[in-house]
Amino acid sequence: MTQPNELILEMQQGNESSFSTLYTMYSEALHGIIYSIVLDHNVAEEVLQDVFIKIWDNSSRYDINKGRFFTWILNIARNTAIDHTRSKAHKNQRKNLSTTNFVDILSSSDSLNRKVNAIGIDKFVKKLKPTCIQIIDYLFFKGYTQAAAAKELDMPLGTLKTRNRNCLNELRTIVLG
Amino acid sequence: MTEQELIESGILELYVSGVLPQDEVIEIEKEISNSNLLQQEVEKIEASLITLAASVAPPLPAMVWTYILNSIQKVKKLTTVEESRTNWAAITGWAAAILFIGGILWMLNENNELQDTVVKTNIENTQLEENLNNKNTELAETTDVLEILRAKELKSFTLPGNQAVAPEAYAKVYLNKDATIAYIDAKGLPEPPRGKVYQVWSLIVEPLTPTSMGLLSSAELMSNNVYKFENFPNPEAIGITLEPEGGSETPTMTQLYILGGVTGQ
Repeated sequence: MTQPNELILEMQQGNESSFSTLYTMYSEALHGIIYSIVLDHNVAEEVLQDVFIKIWDNSSRYDINKGRFFTWILNIARNTAIDHTRSKAHKNQRKNLSTTNFVDILSSSDSLNRKVNAIGIDKFVKKLKPTCIQIIDYLFFKGYTQAAAAKELDMPLGTLKTRNRNCLNELRTIVLG
Repeated sequence: MTEQELIESGILELYVSGVLPQDEVIEIEKEISNSNLLQQEVEKIEASLITLAASVAPPLPAMVWTYILNSIQKVKKLTTVEESRTNWAAITGWAAAILFIGGILWMLNENNELQDTVVKTNIENTQLEENLNNKNTELAETTDVLEILRAKELKSFTLPGNQAVAPEAYAKVYLNKDATIAYIDAKGLPEPPRGKVYQVWSLIVEPLTPTSMGLLSSAELMSNNVYKFENFPNPEAIGITLEPEGGSETPTMTQLYILGGVTGQ
């Protein structure tokens, strides 16, 4: 999809209505990312609020000529969520939960985003190989650097990149038809 | 790397995921901006990742957006409040400056008034000192007069007022006949009218011969209405008349205020 540069520029000028449209376009994706990190509905909503307030406050730092807007806000969302998991309150709350990734979330809940699932994401995800799940979880949902992910998965960098691409390829055909 | 090689390397997926090192980001952005194919590939990757992320999102309550909107509007309002605070500070500053200048002007005025008061007080002091000097002089003169009048050579006489002209008046005379010095205390005489002056006469009764001893004027005044006269014929009586200024050759008997003998004792 083409990036809505006009809306972004208007938001940077302080246009709340454009900001609202951008929220509608990106809030679900960021909410998903945040939820896969904090694994708590209320916390995820709070973090999402913080993230969009940060986007508004720091919008002048984004340059439409450098990098994707989605990548910029994705980094803000992941960093804010990860910061929250490092807080004492979160550690106490999460003490007894095992690690969960996006696939676990999808398969464990039936109240998730139905509109998205209607296009068959869940089917795609269920067919994913365990390595693919880990690669996508580390690189996209958790934001590991490629070096950190390669080390964690004991995989050469080049292999990691191409495997990541192959894992996502099928998703693309589902999403884009 | 060709476009195709770049696409197949998987580097674009990492780029969109935001996990590429900064130096590689700069390089890849250069490539993307020069290639429509790469641009489209990036957009496709982004769209699929957005869908994937959204698929795991729990339902999003509308109040989340309401909260965000309130927060960013609150920030705006706070900014406005801060601006007005700045204005208050400026107003307060100006007010303080005006008060300060006002205070300085008031103090300058006070200072001027105080200096005026000091000048006035100095003048008063000088006047008081003069008064004191005068009083001291008067006191010394009075003391002198008293010393003189106490001298044993002097004989004192109280001369009565003329019943016809000034029944209440009187004069005291202290006389040293040997030295022909007389002191006349005129305290018992009324103030002479304007243009008139008292004249003192030494009188010999047989035959009645008046001789002017002088005027009760400042030339003869010692102190406290006491006048000193010298060099006059030895009198049997002394009279005081009211005469035109400068005195007369002979006494005006209708204006005889005082008359009394100064013999005996």
